[in-house]
Amino acid sequence: MTAASPPALLEARGLARHYAVSRGLFRGKAVVRALDGVSFTLGAGRTLAVVGESGCGKSTLARQVTMIEIPTAGSLLLDGDDVAHADAAARKRLRPRVQMVFQNPYASLNPRKTVGALLEEPLAIRGEPAAARREAALAMLARVGLRPEQYGRFPHMFSGGQRQRIAVARALMLHPRLVVLDEPVSALDVSIQAQVLNLLMDLQQALGIAYLFISHNLQVVRHIADDVLVMYLGRAVEYGGKAAVFARPAHPYTRALLASTPSLQPALRRARVPLAGELPSPLDPPAGCPFHPRCPFVVDRCKVEVPPLRPFRGVTVACHRAEEI
Amino acid sequence: MTPLLAVDGLTVAFGAAARPLVAVDDLSLTVDAREIVGIVGESGSGKSVTAMALLGLIDFPGRVSARRMTFDGHDLRHITAGRRRTLVGKDLAMIFQDPLASLDPCYTVAYQLMEALAVHGTPAQRASRRVRRARALELLRQVEIPDPETRLLAFPHQLSGGMAQRVMIAMAIACQPRLLIADEPTTALDVTVQAQVLDLLIRLQREQGMALILITHDLAVVAETAQRVVVMYAGQQVETGPVPEIFAAPRHPYTQALMAALPENNAGRARLRAIPGVVPGAYGRPSGCLLSPRCAYAVPRCHAEQPPLAGPPGRQARCFFPLAEDGRPTGTWARERAEAVEGAAGPGAAA
Repeated sequence: MTAASPPALLEARGLARHYAVSRGLFRGKAVVRALDGVSFTLGAGRTLAVVGESGCGKSTLARQVTMIEIPTAGSLLLDGDDVAHADAAARKRLRPRVQMVFQNPYASLNPRKTVGALLEEPLAIRGEPAAARREAALAMLARVGLRPEQYGRFPHMFSGGQRQRIAVARALMLHPRLVVLDEPVSALDVSIQAQVLNLLMDLQQALGIAYLFISHNLQVVRHIADDVLVMYLGRAVEYGGKAAVFARPAHPYTRALLASTPSLQPALRRARVPLAGELPSPLDPPAGCPFHPRCPFVVDRCKVEVPPLRPFRGVTVACHRAEEI
Repeated sequence: MTPLLAVDGLTVAFGAAARPLVAVDDLSLTVDAREIVGIVGESGSGKSVTAMALLGLIDFPGRVSARRMTFDGHDLRHITAGRRRTLVGKDLAMIFQDPLASLDPCYTVAYQLMEALAVHGTPAQRASRRVRRARALELLRQVEIPDPETRLLAFPHQLSGGMAQRVMIAMAIACQPRLLIADEPTTALDVTVQAQVLDLLIRLQREQGMALILITHDLAVVAETAQRVVVMYAGQQVETGPVPEIFAAPRHPYTQALMAALPENNAGRARLRAIPGVVPGAYGRPSGCLLSPRCAYAVPRCHAEQPPLAGPPGRQARCFFPLAEDGRPTGTWARERAEAVEGAAGPGAAA
């Protein structure tokens, strides 16, 4: 599907995560299928972007990949090691390989720790001597474009863009193979956003890290990603190389997302696909294709039969009518 | 024709008089009836403070001054509080960024909508609860809320973000305002819902013949919706003009750099053309042009003097060397830059 000739760094097959939700004293528990059978591969040094609206399961996916939670079903292979079925000791051993950068750098840095302490914490847990920790932290500060004298400062003394640099530096301290970036630039101003995206791309080139890039901003995704996974209500609806997905989106939802993204050249934008309504409640997902209540191309078949993911024009897509539209 | 809203030299300052924090510095703005004006800027550029000053929401420690500030013939500088209350919420309405934080969690949608009508509505609406309820239902239909009868009885926490923003819009247009100020109305929403809400705002603006001030950090949103735009940077208005002209040929280096930094304008490039540095903080403002430390074209004069807002009315830029059609600075820029480079590349030499 995607140009992943080297062995995949991360491979998910039928990954699922269901949550039981209490609905009160007298009713049974409901099941929310936050992630429902998602498959993808991510090669070393590449970027996979996960896009979709809030509530589509992007963050749940991140929680599985970072081993914060154990998937309900499916397998997740990291460098050939199965993360989904690993025991606690194995997970502890695997965790340093995957690190995470969060959306809001104002919330993700402990305000009571200096930058140096933040960066050194993972090394201290590993039991490295203080001198080596300090040296590694200073080297990482330089790498993300911060100055050595900022080592002893506290997070509140930094601007949003600088804080996100610190968060990136912290994620890289253990030399991970994969970094999960959860909306890393959406809290930043446009001029700062470009600086942080440039930094991320430079680091990837220099260090060969793979990124799982979660974002709702398609303009940013178009710039940074190699492959794109479009999610809707816990399922993948379209997955493929960036060029193919953006040039000729196969799924009506991908089209709608692209058409909804504002652009500086409104005239060049695709005709707006009317997309009524909002994401349905995951507690009570529609039967058949999850997208059918909002889809402009809906037919009777969509309302009863769940479309499987299938290859189509160089991507995989879950739509009954991909050929016709 | 006199404009609906005319503001000249609006300045909002906070803090001690000896060391004021100037949030908005000498802003001038006119909005005609039935016009959509965009105000764009990064965080801290003074967009929201401008809107709050227009509505009279800046309280004591803050100081608002202006040479002129009129709305529909009323002088907003010397208006009594009672007079202002008859204006704000009726002819002059506002929508805030976070809809769920702006709705009162303790009251139903119906109660909050009808409250606005009870204060500002027509005599019939003020007199009869039944009329107000009918109008509330009609408003929910106008903002395209599905199943409006049930939603009337909903509390804010039962609404999604997009739905809550629609309720806020319904409340703002309840008394058919002449001017609606929307402060980042779609920032908290998903892209598909953002597109719906923007379409809705534009449709209502057309149908009701109201003017709209759209405050946003997103240049693309302004490019798609507004007719004129004011670009702000660190409290100052740096460029003003009609939307097609500004986006085709920006005259201020900041507007140009901001557009160049967007991923969509970097197709095929490995790196984005980022603007170096950060927006200056309230107390760390440079002495000359506020953009000078970050500007690609800065020469010594830019670091020393503050440029005035210059250019023909309606197409102004705050720059000594406004950019020409080809995107290069004009005026004496080339000569001054050459002199600066000759001057043994002093500390203020252009980067």
